[in-house]
Amino acid sequence: MSVDMTAQESSPKLATAGDYIELMKPRIMMLVVFTALAGLVAAIGVTGQGVNPVLATVAILAVALGSGAAGAINMWYDADIDAIMTRTSVRPIPSGAVPRDEALTMGLIMSAVSVLLMWIASNVLAAGLLALSIAYYGWFYTMVLKRRTAQNIVIGGAAGAFPPVIGWAAVTGTTPLDAWILFAIIFVWTPPHFWALSLVAHKEYEKAGVPMLPVTSGAKATRLQMLLYTIALIPVGLAPLATGLGGMIYAIVAGLLTVGFLYFAVKVWRSRAGEPDAGDAERKLAMSMFAFSILFLFGLFAALIIEHGFGLYFAIGGI
Amino acid sequence: MTDPNHAATTNPEAILKAQKRRNAWLALALVAFVVIVGVSTALRIQETDFSGGDRLYFSGYMDEAASEKADREAQERIAARQAEAAAEAEEQGDE
Repeated sequence: MSVDMTAQESSPKLATAGDYIELMKPRIMMLVVFTALAGLVAAIGVTGQGVNPVLATVAILAVALGSGAAGAINMWYDADIDAIMTRTSVRPIPSGAVPRDEALTMGLIMSAVSVLLMWIASNVLAAGLLALSIAYYGWFYTMVLKRRTAQNIVIGGAAGAFPPVIGWAAVTGTTPLDAWILFAIIFVWTPPHFWALSLVAHKEYEKAGVPMLPVTSGAKATRLQMLLYTIALIPVGLAPLATGLGGMIYAIVAGLLTVGFLYFAVKVWRSRAGEPDAGDAERKLAMSMFAFSILFLFGLFAALIIEHGFGLYFAIGGI
Repeated sequence: MTDPNHAATTNPEAILKAQKRRNAWLALALVAFVVIVGVSTALRIQETDFSGGDRLYFSGYMDEAASEKADREAQERIAARQAEAAAEAEEQGDE
């Protein structure tokens, strides 16, 4: 914690409800909730097991709270580097709206509440997985990996990959292969998704001393890694077709989005995005890939929700 | 880092007002928590078959044999769906 955080103490500011919501990283929370919902709906569709809608809603609420708790703990720990980077300097803690200790307290209480709610609404396995994912992001990624290794995003990506497994476990009390395929999709998707952003923001990370891949290995190596992970994502993204988890709609959506993602990865790989002499076009290209990666994940999981939640599953394969 | 939404203040009245607003939100969150726990528990009690050996909060497929059975049944359902799809495709082919 090298940065002096006394500014917030010398000039007390009145926090709004929006500041506390911001502390929970609402954009990440939305993606987490969506993927957890997809896992839950797919589990119901595949196993045919019924689940009380109220309890299912509470389980999803618990995932949302858990995600928010991990976000608050992350912001508490990273307040010093957030204050250095322009993009994050307006966050609730560095801007002085929310005291650091309050963010930590909120994160810890919400963690306990979310795990408890998950247990009450579903089962001990789902609650345990939720606790594990909060600890993975709030402690392992934030406090151990992020400032130590350029592989922080690769290993830390597992934290964001847990929600569909938790959703599945909440319904069945088990985590079969299909649930772990959903985990693998998010896990392999995370590096090219995040590195697209860090190609644009690498100077900020450098300033804050965070060893993101573009900082430690350069933009060229990062672009190659992004391409390799995108290629690896092809079989992983299509794996639900092999097990029968994905049907006709999933096949069409995943096929189109995979081609699109690969197109962006090749284009970024061949560009000079992230280089010191890169211009606006390269910056826009990297940001386009970042935006498309979100669409990719959203599309895949939306296809599963449509197939299993709306009775539109048309089998095309499976082992 | 000057944010117009977060004007610094030393006005005790404004601080007290903000504190009261936060307290109201906290109270609301606590009430919501109690209601959710209560409703969830009531639903779980209703759905649990105590005479069949289920235990509250540990019911479901928490033992290996039941878990394997659930997985086997899921695979059977997928196989049945695929067989249906194949039969339909065959019928359409005949036509």
